[in-house]
Amino acid sequence: MYELLPHTADIRLRVTAESFEELFADAMHGMYAAMRAHPDGGAVQRVIRVDDSADTTSLLVDFLNEVLARAHVARELFTAVRFTRLEERSLEAELTGVAPASFDEDVKAVTYHEADVRRDGDRWTTTLVFDI
Amino acid sequence: MMDKSHLEKIHDHLWEIPRSYRGDMRVPARVYASEAMLDSILRDRSLEQLVNVATLPGIRKYAIAMPDVHEGYGFPIGGVAAIDARDGVISPGGIGYDINCGVRLLRSNKTHREIESILPKLAHSVAREVPSGVGRGGSLKLNNEDLNRVLRDGARHAVEMGFGVAEDLRHIESGGCLDGADPALISSTARERGRDQLGTLGSGNHFVEIDRVDAIFDEEEAARFGLTLDSIVIQIHTGSRGLGHQVATDSLRVMTKSMAAHHITVPDRELACAPLRSAEGKDYLHAMAAAANFAFANRQLITAGIRRAWSHEVPGDAIDLIYDVAHNVAKVERYPDVGEVVVHRKGATRAFPGQPVLIPGSMGTASYLLVGAEAAMQQSFGSSCHGAGRVMSRTKARHEIGVDELRGRLRALGIVVEAGSSKGLVEEAPEAYKDIDAVIDIVASAGIAKKVARFRPLAVVKG
Repeated sequence: MYELLPHTADIRLRVTAESFEELFADAMHGMYAAMRAHPDGGAVQRVIRVDDSADTTSLLVDFLNEVLARAHVARELFTAVRFTRLEERSLEAELTGVAPASFDEDVKAVTYHEADVRRDGDRWTTTLVFDI
Repeated sequence: MMDKSHLEKIHDHLWEIPRSYRGDMRVPARVYASEAMLDSILRDRSLEQLVNVATLPGIRKYAIAMPDVHEGYGFPIGGVAAIDARDGVISPGGIGYDINCGVRLLRSNKTHREIESILPKLAHSVAREVPSGVGRGGSLKLNNEDLNRVLRDGARHAVEMGFGVAEDLRHIESGGCLDGADPALISSTARERGRDQLGTLGSGNHFVEIDRVDAIFDEEEAARFGLTLDSIVIQIHTGSRGLGHQVATDSLRVMTKSMAAHHITVPDRELACAPLRSAEGKDYLHAMAAAANFAFANRQLITAGIRRAWSHEVPGDAIDLIYDVAHNVAKVERYPDVGEVVVHRKGATRAFPGQPVLIPGSMGTASYLLVGAEAAMQQSFGSSCHGAGRVMSRTKARHEIGVDELRGRLRALGIVVEAGSSKGLVEEAPEAYKDIDAVIDIVASAGIAKKVARFRPLAVVKG
């Protein structure tokens, strides 16, 4: 579950999930919501690997920035993600979606500002700020 | 939560947050603002972010916020920090993702009266020649050799490719090329993001604007720039596009991982940094310079597009470059009282004595040409503000401002609008920004820069 929140110049996203995997998936879908993504093209599949992030919070930011780079470089929009490996500082994800897609908002980057992946009881949460 | 009681008044336009505010501050933080402006600034987190900047290793004298300051990420927008070049750090968050976002000011030889009747056609031609909008590329797709030369030589290579004349380079900060740029440090992803974006505006608050000079404050300085009342000027506001964004992302990832090895902790991850003299610090400085050069070349190609539009609609006129400034960049500079420092300017303009300082307002309000003043060298590490500064979130702007009403209002002001997106237009409405006149009055009263001329918009082109 994600929620877009106001920020003076950029976009703030709050993500709450019942599992670590869901947090990453919902953060990706929230980012696409911030980008106002529209699927236009045919099916696409991709594997994204992130290794050696500084910690779990950085892993999420690094993963989202990899996904964002695919949107900018190849206009890929992923609608589903399956994590074949999701550890504290590394992951491997199989993504399926469409390309080309169009985006109405230019998210330049996923920032580390306010990012803080936390487990609170049976819920995982974080806030993210996107530079636009 | 910070409130006004935490700030000490230095004078009517300058306030200080003392080191005692928070135990991890290495220097005080200073804010250029009137008391009324301060009330507005305190509504978001910009001053808390400024306090975070004051904790960076090696920061000298004070962390500074300009009157256009607003909440960003890591550094506030409108922030300046000078950090010791020998034992201090460099932080990509102090420059931002849009490396060398900046403003270029061009001058036509025509007056407002001479082009008034063709403004809609002129704006349309400019929009056709200068691609804009989310992810929009241009017609020029650089091969690897040209991209490397753009990254190394900036606007100089754009001129060599035929986009402009050598004289243009004399009127660009740093001659349109930052030294030390190393194309080998630019990742393949960054290259792919930027490969077809040279000569494009992008979206958000980036624009081309045709203005008329409606006030002259300093006749002598205005004459130096060839400006009189009713002169026509053109502003370009954009930066390094996707290439610069990716360079910042790549560098922040490296520094986030390397901070522990350098025994550095920061109160906000977005302030991730490395000693300037470390491998990570040097790599970032040289990659940032390459991205900055891409931005200088980008504005040079956009200038070429405007010149093409102009020659089509206004045959016989010439478009000359007045100046081009970066407002998201780090530079190694020397000051008598602190020695060599790396000055981080994030949403702040260099304002060395006599240097043109270009301050765009919001769409529909005035913009200003100033020149830097001597006091800036003592007070603000040769820096000034960079714009009006946002006060309203884009979400709120979309909810509160009707696009038809806004278009009608701009039309009533005689402003021609060429906008690819209604959403983008309302997000940049004048009420989303601070009062530019008040912002300019602060920097002028503080002695950082002096007013030369004021411009009023005639036509706005944006994505």
